[in-house]
Amino acid sequence: MRVKLTLALSDRPGVLLKALEQIALNGGNIVSIIHRRDSITSGYVPVSINVEFPDSASLERAKKGIEASGIPVIEAETLEKAICTILLIGAVKIEDLLRRVHELGSRVAEVSMTGGLTSPCIKAVIEAPSEKLSTLLASLESFAEEQGALLITEW
Amino acid sequence: MLRCIIVGYGFLGKRLAKLIASGAVRGIKLVGIASSKGYIYKEDGFLPGDLPDDLRSSSMLRLAPASELIDKRIADLLVELTPTNIRDGEPGLSHIRLALEQGMDVVTANKGPIALAYKELMGLAEEKGAMLLHEATVGGGIPLISLKNRCLVADELLSIKGILNGTTNYILSRMHFEGMSLDLALREAQMLGIAERDPTLDLEGVDTALKLVILANSLMNMSKRLSDVKIKGITGITSEAIAAAKESGMTIKLIGIADEDGLRVAPKLVRLNDPICVHGTLNAVSFNFRILGRLTIIGEGAGESTVSALINDIHEVVKTRMRSNRI
Ligand SMILES: NC(=O)c1ccc[n+]([C@@H]2O[C@H](COP(=O)([O-])OP(=O)(O)OC[C@H]3O[C@@H](n4cnc5c(N)ncnc54)[C@H](OP(=O)(O)O)[C@@H]3O)[C@@H](O)[C@H]2O)c1
Repeated sequence: MRVKLTLALSDRPGVLLKALEQIALNGGNIVSIIHRRDSITSGYVPVSINVEFPDSASLERAKKGIEASGIPVIEAETLEKAICTILLIGAVKIEDLLRRVHELGSRVAEVSMTGGLTSPCIKAVIEAPSEKLSTLLASLESFAEEQGALLITEW
Repeated sequence: MLRCIIVGYGFLGKRLAKLIASGAVRGIKLVGIASSKGYIYKEDGFLPGDLPDDLRSSSMLRLAPASELIDKRIADLLVELTPTNIRDGEPGLSHIRLALEQGMDVVTANKGPIALAYKELMGLAEEKGAMLLHEATVGGGIPLISLKNRCLVADELLSIKGILNGTTNYILSRMHFEGMSLDLALREAQMLGIAERDPTLDLEGVDTALKLVILANSLMNMSKRLSDVKIKGITGITSEAIAAAKESGMTIKLIGIADEDGLRVAPKLVRLNDPICVHGTLNAVSFNFRILGRLTIIGEGAGESTVSALINDIHEVVKTRMRSNRI
């Protein structure tokens, strides 16, 4: 699984190495490292590391190891995408749907509309970061309610 | 011989009475029958020739409520088959309470009392040393409750997802295969006797929710009420929506779901190649067990097949009582 780990490194030599050791120790393969020197706060530099881990258990072990060596883990975002199909029955504007999905950090990969004005139905294929999928679906549920439409998701 | 009375002499009651009177269920005899018109009883047991088509045509008819028959204490087992009432469970709830209080065993297909008062009735049964079996309340003849409680007792059930209402499944299937509107498919189902004249409880998902409550309480050790279920029915489903789903290799099914997030009923997109995607009046239930994983079971969820669940529950009572020498 591909993960973006954001760490708060103190601006001293050798700290990054400690973190990388913990990642390697737990089977993680480093894909890229980005130092975000533009956003240094009180002596800490945020560093984003893209890592390929064999599974979520090894990610958890690496996170624990990094924190145990005194480096705070600010965020661990899985870059895995969940893809799901939804139907919206009712008069909903496609732009409004696109905007709502976008606001939640996801994207509509495919969208079509049938039924004309009498019986409109939107079908959309949505791509979301796996861990955001349930929040996204809950938010689309309230979106449908606001619009007086019926949302149908995959079971 | 175990002595049994049947309260509710309609579609199921008549079929079951015929089977018991003809000796098809070993170790049991039928000594009383009640309907809304009154009751008849015969302590040495009815034979097939004794069974009237309508209790009113029987010379033995007593114009008194079924509770009087239950109170006579001429039987060991009550089979409760009066209509399901989702408001207060009556008259079935009072019938079942009365029987259990006397230590009578109870077998029922009536969803009302089991969905509304499961904990109370099970508590009462335990206190009185009586059995209360209700396989026939959900999924017709499909063994759901005995499947978990007898074959998979040691495994933990994590979730239940299922198509639990044959009427709505028939309607959605016709919309999928024939491109019909919901209205037309409903009228067809009514003509065929699949949908009732007032199909509201089916279409609005309430019947599915009742069955989900029964399954969650009896198989997942939950204490849920009908009001705990988030319910969305199928009345808003259009043929355009089903056509759009079909284009993506899916269709729309009314699904009941019980898991750690609670109980909900809603129309869902289901892949056509998923084992749960059955058509017509069929029901399908997918269990997810901690060790076994996913198990899907399919069958007719109502009608004649329900009698199979009833006679299996009755057999279980007979077997248990024979073992404990109560008969
Ligand atoms: N049919 C199925 O496929 C099926 C499947 C699963 C579960 N169930 C459940 O099983 C139960 C029976 O179903 P069914 O189809 O056999 O129903 P049904 O054909 O409507 O028969 C109901 C019977 O109950 C009697 N009754 C009504 N009020 C009564 C009262 N106060 N005291 C005594 N008897 C009373 C009726 O009397 P009259 O004859 O005098 O009207 C009738 O004989 C229902 O709760 C139903 O939801 C049915």
